[in-house]
Amino acid sequence: MVGLSEGEKEFIKGGIAQDLRSDGRKRHTYRPFYVETGVIPQANGSARVRLGATDVIASVKAELGKPSSLQPDKGKVAIFVDCSPTAAPMFEGRGGEDLSAELSGALQRCLLGSKSGAGAGIDLSSLVVVEGKVCWDLYIDGLVVSADGNILDALGAAIKAALSNTGIPRVNVAAGAANDDQPEVDISDEEFLQFDTSGVPVIVTLTKVGKHYIVDATSEEESQMSSAVSISINRQGHICGMTKRGGSGLDPSVILDMVSVANFVSRQLFDKLDSEISAAEADEDES
Amino acid sequence: MEYVSPEGLRLDGRRPMEMRQLRAEIGVVAKADGSAMFEMGNTKVIAAVYGPREVQNRSQQITDQALVRCEYSMANFSTGDRMRKPKGDRRSTEISLVIRQTMEACILTNLMPRSQIDIFVQVLQADGGTRSACINAATLALADAGIPMRDIVTSCSAGYLNSTPLLDLNYVEDSAGGPDVTVGILPTLDKVTLLQVGFHLYSMWLQRTEC
Repeated sequence: MVGLSEGEKEFIKGGIAQDLRSDGRKRHTYRPFYVETGVIPQANGSARVRLGATDVIASVKAELGKPSSLQPDKGKVAIFVDCSPTAAPMFEGRGGEDLSAELSGALQRCLLGSKSGAGAGIDLSSLVVVEGKVCWDLYIDGLVVSADGNILDALGAAIKAALSNTGIPRVNVAAGAANDDQPEVDISDEEFLQFDTSGVPVIVTLTKVGKHYIVDATSEEESQMSSAVSISINRQGHICGMTKRGGSGLDPSVILDMVSVANFVSRQLFDKLDSEISAAEADEDES
Repeated sequence: MEYVSPEGLRLDGRRPMEMRQLRAEIGVVAKADGSAMFEMGNTKVIAAVYGPREVQNRSQQITDQALVRCEYSMANFSTGDRMRKPKGDRRSTEISLVIRQTMEACILTNLMPRSQIDIFVQVLQADGGTRSACINAATLALADAGIPMRDIVTSCSAGYLNSTPLLDLNYVEDSAGGPDVTVGILPTLDKVTLLQVGFHLYSMWLQRTEC
């Protein structure tokens, strides 16, 4: 995908070993984040996140549905990611499907917790309208418009921003109809419920290049990686999910080390992201 | 349904011959050779151009001109109701073909033999006129990539509802079922490169649009 000469490869590796990467960053520094909310007016919530040349859009759409019989007291959330061919010609046709599936899977593991919905970043029980009969189905769609490494972290941030931008219409159930099989509901178009997104984790990907590992790798750096670990961490510093990519194995002690670094980095990321999201929402209110 | 009020205003408050607000931005995809975002009201598309570069599939190589390829895709969230698995359906294949033919007609392909130019258009929001918006975005992206062209193609749609010709239909007007035409023109050469007519049109009229 990325064509690099031997010299360039050595330059990238050497720079990482000396804690000075080719764009001037240190090993554990992110590129600047830009967050824009409300970019898709048709959706209930949306956000665009730019991380260097990586550009992703996330949208949240809510539809009324029926809760599954196993979890009558919980709504449903699904995450889909699409890699647009605009990001790279290799995503043309069905070429992006592998990466899309990998990213969707990783995001589901990192943000939605177990199959039963326990440990999800979003309070799934807040999505229920009538227990066992009507609930909101949230469809979270991610679109990769431009790819320059670290797509997963950017998508995680975009989804977090889109969720905090989401307003779910308040639903009034007709009195006495709550016991019917298909209760009549009235969707308000004025009142909206906001999510509590403080529990939504951020994703920090640590990419191992040579002996060291870096955060927020560009695609050139990713082409030199041996393996990468994506860790999702919440505000309290608890690990919510973890995914490893790449061929080579990692020593368990390295993984523990990575976790503590990720924990440290995630705190800065949380502060940065929260201030960017509130700035984006203030911008949107003004315009 | 009434699409034009007695005062001569359309559903979104425009006059029959008024376009929606246009906005364009160049260089939105950093990694592409050329890229552009184009908005017509609520319709928003991104186009990225890769090339001219080596032909990926040798059997498609043309010895005396460049190979132009195009792929049109719609984001899941682009329409009012969320769409599932939009890739590769008939409509997008048809639009890909229309864009490819229109762009091929204006690129000086004979200057770049044995090479390939890829045009990718991604619809972020669909509110009628995606075809025209995609062509406009693709032209801008090609220009941004510095690809030699005969002229800059501009495109716009028009329709006929309530016995009134309407310019630049939005989604509601487009799905009303009236006749509609999509026109692409080369403004300086003064030539029509694309003309698609849906439904039968009794008295043919073409409103020239300069974007």
